[in-house]
Amino acid sequence: MNRLACGLALAALADLLAGGCRKSEAGPMPDERVGSVAQVAGTRPGIRLASALPQGDWRLPNGDYASTRFSPLAQIKVANAANLHVVTTASTGVPHGHEGNPLVVDGTLYVVTPFPNNLIAIDLRQTGGAIKFIYEPHPDPRAVGIACCDVVNRGASYADGKIIYNLLDTTTVAVDARSGKEVWRRRLGNIDIGETVTMAAMVVKDKVLVGSSGGELGVRGWLAALDVKSGQELWRAYQTGPDKDVLIGPQFHAFYKKDQGPDLGASSWVGDQWKRGGGNIWGWISYDPQLNLIYYGTGNPGVWNPDLRPGDNKWSCAIIARDPDDGHAVWANQLVPHDHHDYDEIMENVLVDMDWGPRKLRKLLLHPGRTGFMYVLDRETGELLSAEKFEASTNWARGYDLKTGLPLEEKSKQTGSGRIVEDICPSSTGGKEFIPSAFSPRTGLLYIPAHNTCMSYEGLPANYIAGTPYLGADVRMHPGPGGYQGELVAWDPARARKVWGLREEKLPVYSGILATAGDLLFYGTMDGHFRAVDARTGSPLYDFHAGSGIVGNPMTYLGPDGKQYVAIYAGVGGWMGAVASPDVSADDPYAGLGVVGAMKQIKQLTGLGDTLYVFGL
Amino acid sequence: MTRSTLCILGAAGLALCAGCGRRVASAAEGEPTVALGLGPDRPVANQPLGPLPGPGDIPPVPNPLGDDRTVLEEGRKLFVQYNCAGCHGGRAGGGMGPSLRDADWRYGGSPDRVFNSIAQGRGLGMPAWGARLPEKEIWEITAYVGALRTPREPEAPR
Repeated sequence: MNRLACGLALAALADLLAGGCRKSEAGPMPDERVGSVAQVAGTRPGIRLASALPQGDWRLPNGDYASTRFSPLAQIKVANAANLHVVTTASTGVPHGHEGNPLVVDGTLYVVTPFPNNLIAIDLRQTGGAIKFIYEPHPDPRAVGIACCDVVNRGASYADGKIIYNLLDTTTVAVDARSGKEVWRRRLGNIDIGETVTMAAMVVKDKVLVGSSGGELGVRGWLAALDVKSGQELWRAYQTGPDKDVLIGPQFHAFYKKDQGPDLGASSWVGDQWKRGGGNIWGWISYDPQLNLIYYGTGNPGVWNPDLRPGDNKWSCAIIARDPDDGHAVWANQLVPHDHHDYDEIMENVLVDMDWGPRKLRKLLLHPGRTGFMYVLDRETGELLSAEKFEASTNWARGYDLKTGLPLEEKSKQTGSGRIVEDICPSSTGGKEFIPSAFSPRTGLLYIPAHNTCMSYEGLPANYIAGTPYLGADVRMHPGPGGYQGELVAWDPARARKVWGLREEKLPVYSGILATAGDLLFYGTMDGHFRAVDARTGSPLYDFHAGSGIVGNPMTYLGPDGKQYVAIYAGVGGWMGAVASPDVSADDPYAGLGVVGAMKQIKQLTGLGDTLYVFGL
Repeated sequence: MTRSTLCILGAAGLALCAGCGRRVASAAEGEPTVALGLGPDRPVANQPLGPLPGPGDIPPVPNPLGDDRTVLEEGRKLFVQYNCAGCHGGRAGGGMGPSLRDADWRYGGSPDRVFNSIAQGRGLGMPAWGARLPEKEIWEITAYVGALRTPREPEAPR
């Protein structure tokens, strides 16, 4: 099934090479520039980048360690964005959700497909965009049926001459970037208990960081570090259970009382429920080279119905900082204790230094939450500095008490057994999904791909049956108030307010954002529009209607001809996007864990796709 | 299942198909279910053979429990209780697993074929429930699946 026999339909790449071949400005690996992060011309006062930016290449899932998704490239800019056009397309042959983005390394573009997770290398130096190789890892097909939300993959990292990424069946592979030969592969989990891996592998120093998916199947979340040379597992941190499993030791200092105490990952549950307790890591990992800390968020607690798991359910729905060398935890902040709504907090953590009150260039972590709140934390301590709603419809909590770090929850929106709670905003899919934001140091704004979707929720009994969903909830989503369901939100973190928003009437914004030094934002819509807009004003500058809805992330690179290009996948899918599939029926609003209620119109707006688009001037 | 080894498992999918082409006792009610066999025309080298029967050529076997309201409601209850709803959708409209509300059946939509899919499991992640569930419950779930999108569907989507 799904063999990539289909040819890659590459349209003319000739003009890409018309300027003659010249070595791409790959630049050194970010590691080599620790301590001397080049700042971008035009950076606003009171802002400092925390890690090196990608130059001509794009080698990490979100471009840089700090997850800014900002590129210093500026050939494409406000003045000429209207001249953008498609320079090439390529089909992957897999009509499922194309999340994440390609990498570009030394004149080669790398695509990781959804399951069966093939790696396609396209030679940007050759006319016609010749395929250098297709690496086929053949993951276990039984993984397809336990993947909660389409058979997606969120991308790869390049390090040590290898493209490194994860397969749906919990195998991590490292492939020689030049030859396409497998260097190592390592199986990390067990699909028979519902474990899968969908996140982009993140390489920090000499370690590959991989986290589990499976929060809908009672999987106990873990984060593993593998040796980049051999794939050998060096440490593994579970996200529930006793401190020794979570790698909490003497160096751990939680800022708030709520997160202090021994073995909270076990004692904040009843009995051994933590063994099925979720807290998976299927989003993004950020890294601060100066502090030598990684940051990530954890997913929902296991069994959705909160009445079935009394307690705070740590460390689900938390942000955690760890030392990548041995994995020990440095701090944790559980944003939502005892989650009632499936608010995974696996969202991106954007690291930036900014003036904050009297403090100059405070080391901040920006986390636009699934909860609909925009969180700003001190990334040295885990202190919550600000939490404001970025979508006004958010009603599960009134706000946060910054002294305790706890949400001020609206009791009437708390879910449980034997009652249907109506009009909870946001829905389980969140005020935003895992799709990553972008931050521009030139505008000082964070650009959030937001949703305005709400839900009704009824708690039901649930049985834990290994390898099957562990939910106990009957969920039905619907568009939120105000006549729109998606919005690109330009957010000023320093002032904790929205500066402008670009609304999408029918569907959520489910594509990542790219910001560039050309003061442009690039993103896509679920009905297939690829857009460039002015990062300062939100004015639309370019619009192209692709063959399928966009749930991937735009990225940019310099081609071998020295010209700037922007690439994005158009292949609708993922949790909300899979409603476009013929395997999902429009007449069941409870289908797809409740998303069909909000998404059935997508069947009329787009269809499945599998295409890489590259745009240039 | 290849077309030349078609058989119907009438007994909870527990590999009781003793031999294709024979009458196999159904453990549900003792009713015989007919499996289509190869007959006398076995493949011989260099001899033309065919046409071979397809899955649709086998007469469907009815659900021995029928489709009384109590059976359908019990099937609905089990569909939720055994987490079928988590994969196939709250009202079976799909999600992790395919929709059971539409007209498409990868492995056949007649009661015996739905029974077999539940009991034997299917390749892309459907567990083999025959190893864990009593046959009666599988027939009850089968009855519920058969009632989807009909006026008899219990807890139909509003």
